[in-house]
Amino acid sequence: MTAIYEIIVMLFILSGTFLTLAATFGVIRLPDIYTRNHAASKATTLGAMLILLGAMFYFLFFEDHFNSRLVLAILFIFMTAPVSGHLIGRAAYNSGVKLWNKSVADELARDRKKMKQGKSI
Amino acid sequence: MFEILLYIALFLITVAMFGLIYRVIKGPTTPDRVVALDALGITLVAVIAILSIILRTNAFLDIILLIGILAFIGTVAFSKYLEKGEVIENDSNL
Amino acid sequence: MAFQILLNFVLAFVWMFLKTSYTPATFIVGYFFGLLILFFFRGFFQTRFYLKRVYAIIRLVLIFIRELILSNLAVLRLVLKPKLDIRPGIFALPIELERDWEILLLSNLITLTPGTLVVDVSPDNKTLYVHAVDIDDLNDAVSSIKNSFEKAIMEVSR
Repeated sequence: MTAIYEIIVMLFILSGTFLTLAATFGVIRLPDIYTRNHAASKATTLGAMLILLGAMFYFLFFEDHFNSRLVLAILFIFMTAPVSGHLIGRAAYNSGVKLWNKSVADELARDRKKMKQGKSI
Repeated sequence: MFEILLYIALFLITVAMFGLIYRVIKGPTTPDRVVALDALGITLVAVIAILSIILRTNAFLDIILLIGILAFIGTVAFSKYLEKGEVIENDSNL
Repeated sequence: MAFQILLNFVLAFVWMFLKTSYTPATFIVGYFFGLLILFFFRGFFQTRFYLKRVYAIIRLVLIFIRELILSNLAVLRLVLKPKLDIRPGIFALPIELERDWEILLLSNLITLTPGTLVVDVSPDNKTLYVHAVDIDDLNDAVSSIKNSFEKAIMEVSR
């Protein structure tokens, strides 16, 4: 029985580790801040959540103790990760970081320009 | 076997953290560095979870919540600083 | 909704007093019977039966988790692909939701969708500016945002 429990915990922790490594690889490899933000804000979140779930199952199975703070931490990371990704993206755009030169469309710049013209008229 | 796999996971996450530190140092723009720092904070949470399994103690589990909250607040403060040039705005007409 | 939940609690306490036993088990049984009574008299309320809303919230959470897993698979595919032949860009997405917290939920969901990330919201709350990794195969992402997410959020807020 302990073998099955160990396999479950290990599965969670190893998949979380793999996702974290993939996120790092993406942050190093991708060309500009916005695409890097994709990798960092999605893959790291699920990676950390899986590792925390693994830790929760470990303490539940082997120490007979259900840690509710881990559940709170998982919920907190799940709620705040998209918010911080969005905030960094908006701050980058507003502080004038250029998109990657192979980007195909930028409708935000077009609409902002339109709005500015509308105001000046 | 279980212990060895845990140590391997810890090692791989440390490698990932070094990759993120490379991005923090090199990153051409400041938002790049902020993205890498945010990811570093969340990775630190994972490191603490694995460490507390290796040491078989639940004393560190409160720290997980704390670091999660601090990483989020740090990211919010950084992006607000990048956007407006200050973290806490003073209302001058008060 | 709040009124119905309060009524349900009152019914549960009435059940506890009728049984003269004050344990959590009795409370749960009383809550269940109160739920049955509310269900039979649901036609007399102004608003709809609140379990429907609870069901909608649970479905929204499940959608969140599914999107998180799918988007991670997409990021893995993007990162581990040997050649980097993506065409990123920012596009404008008109939305129908109006209240602030609905837009917050929708933009969180979009950020968790494979390959999309919200960059800005227009000042009149009518357009979201979404950065997409691959702007070519965007059509199904947009249609899923339009059809399933907005509908699921409206189901909760209505």
